[in-house]
Amino acid sequence: MLVPLLNTIRNSQLPNGGFPYQADELARTDSTSWAVLAMSAFEDTEQSCMQGRVYLRSQQSTDGHVSISQEQHRASWPTPLAILAWGMDPQFRQARDSAIHFLLNFSGHHYPQGDTSIMAHDTSLVGWPWIADTHSWVIPTAIAITALQSSGITTHPRIAQGLAMLLDRQLPHGGWNSGNTLVFGKELLPLPECTGIALQALAGNTERPLVEHSLSYLLDQLPHLRTPISLGWALLGLGAWGLRPAQTESIIRESLALQNRHGSYAIPSLALLLCAAQAPQGLHSFLRTRPLEATVSTTHGNKS
Amino acid sequence: MMEQGSQTTESPVLSRRDLLKATLIGGGLALSGFSFLHWVKGPVLTASTFIGKAGNYQADLKHIILRGLAELGITRTIITGKRILLKPNLVEPHRSSPHINTHPLVVRGAIEAFLSLGAGSVLVAEGPGHRHDTLLVLEESGLGDVLYEDHIPFADVNMMDGISLPNLGRQTKLATLTFPKVIQQVDWIVSMAKMKTHHWAGATLSMKNLFGMMPGIYYGWPKNVLHQEGIPQSILDINASLQPHFAIIDGITGMEGDGPIMGTPINAGVLVMGHNLPAVDATCCRVMGIDPARISYLKKADQWLGPIQELAIEQRGEPWRSVQVPFALDPEIPAHHGLRLT
Repeated sequence: MLVPLLNTIRNSQLPNGGFPYQADELARTDSTSWAVLAMSAFEDTEQSCMQGRVYLRSQQSTDGHVSISQEQHRASWPTPLAILAWGMDPQFRQARDSAIHFLLNFSGHHYPQGDTSIMAHDTSLVGWPWIADTHSWVIPTAIAITALQSSGITTHPRIAQGLAMLLDRQLPHGGWNSGNTLVFGKELLPLPECTGIALQALAGNTERPLVEHSLSYLLDQLPHLRTPISLGWALLGLGAWGLRPAQTESIIRESLALQNRHGSYAIPSLALLLCAAQAPQGLHSFLRTRPLEATVSTTHGNKS
Repeated sequence: MMEQGSQTTESPVLSRRDLLKATLIGGGLALSGFSFLHWVKGPVLTASTFIGKAGNYQADLKHIILRGLAELGITRTIITGKRILLKPNLVEPHRSSPHINTHPLVVRGAIEAFLSLGAGSVLVAEGPGHRHDTLLVLEESGLGDVLYEDHIPFADVNMMDGISLPNLGRQTKLATLTFPKVIQQVDWIVSMAKMKTHHWAGATLSMKNLFGMMPGIYYGWPKNVLHQEGIPQSILDINASLQPHFAIIDGITGMEGDGPIMGTPINAGVLVMGHNLPAVDATCCRVMGIDPARISYLKKADQWLGPIQELAIEQRGEPWRSVQVPFALDPEIPAHHGLRLT
C-alpha cells in the first residue's frame, strides 16, 4: 500500500521541484511541504526531497515566512509546514532558522477577554493565525507548536502560550472546533480534524486527564472517519497518545479506495495519509526516526 | 432583465467571461473610488422574486424550481449551453443537525432543473466556513451521495488557487478580493443558501452564503479576514464584486434562534428564488418575520445592489404573507434586537 502511495506523490513533482495541490496545477508551498515531509521517511527519496526543499526555499520571503503564494503574503500559514519539510537537513539550516525566527515573532490578533457570555474563550491568549492580522485558531497554532518542537525548540514562551491557548479552546465535553468554545452560551460541536491536530500538538506537553474527553471523542469518531484529512489527523492525534488502532493500515486502505467515489485525492491529503501510516506515535515520533535528526532527538525526550 | 426581454430594471445578465473582461477594464476606475458597478448598470431599483411552496424534501423540487425559473422569465434559450455553478451552504455539517445546511435534495432539484433547460454543465462548489475536511463535509451533509449518483463534479473552493479582482464594493479596506479560479470557467453563479437566522449578521441568506466562495487558503478558517473586516461590509463587497446571477433559498426547513450553527429547525415550507440577491433575501426576511431594513447589509444594499422595499419587489408564486412563519429571535443575541417585522 505504501509504495504505490509514495510513488503517486513522487510522480507529481514538477520540474521546479515543487508539488501541485492537484495534478495539472502549479506548485504550491503547502503541497510541497506535505509531499517532502511524507517522502522523507523513505530512503530512496533524497533527490526528490532535496528538490522540494529547494523549491520551498525559493518561495521564502526575506523575513523568513513562506506564504501560500507570492501575491498573498498575509497568508503565511504554510511557514511551519516548510519548517517541518526542511527538517534538520543542514543545507537548509539558514532557511529553517529564518522561518523559526519569523514564527516566534508572529502572532494573531489578540485582545482582552470581553463578555464571556458572548464568547467564552480567552481572546488574550497568544497563538498563531491562518492569516496575518487575524485571530489565532487551533490548526495553525497546533502546527506551529509541532514545527517548533520538531526543530529542537522544546521550550519557549511562545510554545507555552500556544499550548495554553489550545487547552483553553478545548470544548468542555471534549474535542476542538475551529477555535471557539461557547458562543452565546452554547457549546460548539467538535470537529475530528481540529481535534486530531490539537491532540498531536499537546502530546508530551500536557497530562492525559486534561484531554481524556477529547481522546474519547476521537476514538468514538474513528469508525466513521474515512476521508483523508480527518482520518489522517485522527490517526496522528491518537497515535501521539499511544492509542493508534491496530487496524490502521486497513483503515488507510479503505480511505484510499474511496478515491473511486471522490476522485483522486489532493497531494497534501495523500501525504497526510502516508505520514499517518508511517508515524505510529504521531508526527514527532515520525520525525525523530529520521537519521538526520538523531542528533536532536534527545531534546524531545519528554515526548516519547 | 434585459436578456429575458422583461421590462424591469433588474441587472443585465452578463456572462462570466463578459463580466471578468469588463471588471478588468474597470478595475482602475474601481480602485480610484468610482463605483464600477454603477458605471456598468446603475443601481438596481426593482426586481422580481418567486416563492414556491414545498412541504418537505420529498416534494417535486425540480418542478418547483422549474416553475420559479419560468415565472422569472428564465427560458431554455437563456440557459442552453450555460455553465452553471451551484453554491450551497455547507458551513459546518453534522449528521445530527441537517438543518444547518442546504438540503442535498434541493441541490439535486436545481441540478435537474438547469440540466433539463439545456445547461452545458453544472458544477457544485463550496468552501465550508468552519471545516478543513471538505470531503467529510460532503459525506456528513449527504450531498456526496447526490453528486456521486448524479455524476456532478464538486470544487473545493477553500483549497483552490485564486484570481484577484478589484473590490467593487469598497465597504472594507480590501483593495482586491481573491475568488477561486473556477469562476473563470462558469457563466452563472447560483447562490443556494439556507434560510437561517445569524448571531452576528441577523440573518444569513443568499448574500451571506457567498462567504463560501472565498478560498480558505487566502481568507482562513472560518474566513478570518472577512470577519476582521466586518461581516456586513464583506458581504456587500463580495456581492458587488462577484455579481452572482441567481439565488435559490432552501426554506423548507430553516433555522431559527442561534443560527447559523446552533439554532433549532423550523419548517417554513418554501423555496425562494430570484435574479437579484438583495431582493430575494429581503423576501426571505419577510417570510421569517424579520424587517429587512433592519439587517444592516440589506439596508446598505438597497438602491444599490438591489431593492429590499416591498413595493420595489414584484412577488411571483406565493405571496409572502401567506407563507410567513416568524423565526424565533434570541433576546440574548444583540444582532437580533429590533429585527421583528411589525
